[in-house]
Amino acid sequence: MIRVCHLYPDLLNLYGDRGNIIAFQQRCKWRDIPVHVQSVNRGDKVCFRELDFVFLGGGSDREQILIATDLMKRRDEFAAAIEGGLVVLAICGGYQLLGAYYLNRDGENIPGLGILDFYTRAGERRLVGNVAVEVSLNGVPFKLVGFENHSGQTFLGDIRPLGRVLSGNGNNGRDGLEGVWHKNVFGSYLHGPLLPKNVRLTDYLIGLCLERRGLNKELMLLDDDFENRACEAMLLRLVHRGNKLFC
Amino acid sequence: MKLRLSLAILAGKITAWVSRFYGHKGSSLPGVVARRIYHGALRDLAAQVGRGVLVISGTNGKTTTTNMIVKILGDAGYKVTSNLEGANLITGVTASLIKDAGIWGKLNCDYAVLEVDEASMPGVLREVNAGVVVLTNFFRDQLDRYWELDKITGIIHDALHKQKQATLILNADDPLVAQFQKTTSVPALFYGLGANDQSARTGAQTRDGKFCPFCGAALDYRFFHYSQLGLYSCPGCEFSRPVPQVEAFEPKVEGGQTRCRLVYDGREVELAVQVQGLYNLYNALAAFSVGLHLGLDSGPALDSLGRYRPVTGRMEVFNYKGKLAYLNLVKNPTGFNEGLATLCAAKGSKDVFIAINDNDADGRDVSWLWDVDFEMLGEDHRLFNSFVCCGLRGEEMAVRLKYAGVPINKVSINANMHQAIKSALAGSAGAAYLFSTYTALWPAQKMIKKLAVEGGAAR
Ligand SMILES: [Zn+2]
Repeated sequence: MIRVCHLYPDLLNLYGDRGNIIAFQQRCKWRDIPVHVQSVNRGDKVCFRELDFVFLGGGSDREQILIATDLMKRRDEFAAAIEGGLVVLAICGGYQLLGAYYLNRDGENIPGLGILDFYTRAGERRLVGNVAVEVSLNGVPFKLVGFENHSGQTFLGDIRPLGRVLSGNGNNGRDGLEGVWHKNVFGSYLHGPLLPKNVRLTDYLIGLCLERRGLNKELMLLDDDFENRACEAMLLRLVHRGNKLFC
Repeated sequence: MKLRLSLAILAGKITAWVSRFYGHKGSSLPGVVARRIYHGALRDLAAQVGRGVLVISGTNGKTTTTNMIVKILGDAGYKVTSNLEGANLITGVTASLIKDAGIWGKLNCDYAVLEVDEASMPGVLREVNAGVVVLTNFFRDQLDRYWELDKITGIIHDALHKQKQATLILNADDPLVAQFQKTTSVPALFYGLGANDQSARTGAQTRDGKFCPFCGAALDYRFFHYSQLGLYSCPGCEFSRPVPQVEAFEPKVEGGQTRCRLVYDGREVELAVQVQGLYNLYNALAAFSVGLHLGLDSGPALDSLGRYRPVTGRMEVFNYKGKLAYLNLVKNPTGFNEGLATLCAAKGSKDVFIAINDNDADGRDVSWLWDVDFEMLGEDHRLFNSFVCCGLRGEEMAVRLKYAGVPINKVSINANMHQAIKSALAGSAGAAYLFSTYTALWPAQKMIKKLAVEGGAAR
C-alpha cells in the first residue's frame, strides 16, 4: 500500500493541480498497486513519517500565506521525514514554500520552511507560457513539458536543479535552470498538470515510493500512447529540431 | 467635437464594411479605429440612449443573458442596440453603438444592452452611465490572463462603487456576486434558484468562492446547485444568501426544454425556455428580472423567453439525418461541468466531439481541463459510444479522458476537424454532443452547417 497525501487541496488547487494526484493514483491502479489518498487541510492531523508521497500544489498569494502558517507548525516533522526519504512533489507556490523565504514586491520577507537551500523574490514581469525542460532520471535523459505562470523568481543555493530549460523561463528566466531536486523531493514551476503527460517522472516517483515500502520497484509497462503524443505535440512546437524525440 | 465624432463614426463604418468585405467576423476593429480618431466616441453615443444603458458582466452566461434581454425588449416594441456578436471589450462595445449610429453622430435607440468583459468593466463604466448592471457569476476563467478571482471581483467592485444611479441585478446564489450589494451600497434586485432534487448537499466540483468575501470563514451550505452556487451562510459574520425577489423552483429538463415554477411579487407563474441546462435557467431569470425592473409586463416577457433560440455554441441544436447534435462553447471548468451534466442527464447513447485550442482567446493554459469533472463520464461510459478529440490540444484532451476512466478504445485523436466532426455526427449513437473552446467554435459551426440542418426538428 502506497500512502499518498494531498496537502491543502481546498486552498492549493490552482492550475489543475489535482491532475497530478489523479495521474499518480491511476497509474498505480492500472498496475494493481494499492494506493490510499488522504487529503489534509489546515488543522488536520498528519503523520509524515508514515506517508510515502506528499503533493503540494500552488495557490494565490492570500492562500499561500494561510498555508505557510499552518505548515510552519509541522515543519520539523516534515523536514525529518524528507531526510528519511519521503517522496515529495511541490509545484509553483508549494515549491516556493520549501525554500528559505519569498521576498515580495513590497520588500516584505515571507519566511518559507527553510528545508531546501534556495530563495525566491518577486520579479518585474510575470513568467507565463509553455515550458520544455531536459531532465535525467536513472541516467536516462528525457524531456518534460508543462506550463508556467509565476511572478516569483527562484535562485538555487547549494542544491541541484530538476533540469535544464530548453524553452520557456524556469526558475527565474536567467540561469536556465528549472525546479529543484533533493533526496526524493522534487520542486517545479511546471503545472499543466505535470504528471499526466510526463509519465516517466510519474513512474519514477511511484518507483521511489515502492522502494520506500521495501517493495520491488520494477514497474509493469503501460500503453502510454496518448500521454506520449500529448508530450510530443508540445515538444514539436517548442524544441523540435528534426531529431528523434524522447519523451 | 461633433465633427470628430462624425469622423470617428464614418471611419468605424468604413472599417466594418471593409473587414466584412474581406470576410472577417471580428467586430471590434471599427471600435479601435473610431476610438483612435475620437476618444469620446463611446461616451457621446451612450449619452444619447433614450431610456437607459444595460451592462451585463460575469464569467459565464453573459452572451445568452444579453441576447435574452434584447429579445424581451425588442418584442416589447423598444428599439434596442447591442453587441450581439459578443465583442465585449471596450472597443467592441464602441463598435456596436457605431453600427447603429448615423454618420452625423446621432444614435436613435431606447435601450443599449451591452455585454462587457469583466476586466473591461472599469473602462466601460467610466464612459457609460449604466442604469442597470447585471452580474451572472464569477468562476475561474483563463487563468493565464486573470490569475486570481480576488483580483477580478476587486476590479468590478471599484467600477461599481461610483455607479450610484444604477440598479444591480444580482445572482443571489453566488456569494461572489451577491456580496456587491453590501460592498457597493448600490440598490440591488436578486434572482436565484430554490432547492431542488438535483442540488447536492456536498460535491466534488471545484468551488472557487467557498470562503466568505467579508471575513474569510468557510461558508456553510444547505445545498449546492453547481460550483459555489447554492444556499449559503457565513458562520463568522452576518453574510448569507439574500432572499431573491425572483426565484425559480423545481426545474425540469426534458427534450431540449427547461421549465420551472417562478415566484415573484407574491405571484407564481411557469417559465419554459427552449434551451438545456440549469445555467440557461439562471440566464433567463436574470433577463426576466431586468424586464421586471424596467416595468415590462411579465406575461409577454415570459412568452419572449419561451421563444428565445440559442446563439452559436450555446447548446445550439442541429439535425444530422434525424440525429440531434448539440454544439456547446466551453471556456472554464464550471461551464464545461454544466455541459457534461446536461450530456449525462440526456437519455440514450451519445457520440462526443471535443475541440480544445490554446490560442490567446481560448486561454493559453489548458490545465483547467483537469478541474473539469470528466470522471462523471468514466463512471458510466456505456452511455457513450465514442469520443473524438480535436484542436491544438486534442492529445491533452484524450489524456484527460483516459485518466477520468473512459476506456481508451472509445477515445480517438483526430487533428482534421472536418473528419472529426463527421465521425461524431455519423456515429451509431442516438445523439451527438460537440464541445469547443472559443477559437475552434466558428470553424466547427461552419463545418456542422455543411453537414447538418439547423434546428431540432427534421425538415
Ligand atoms: Zn463572513
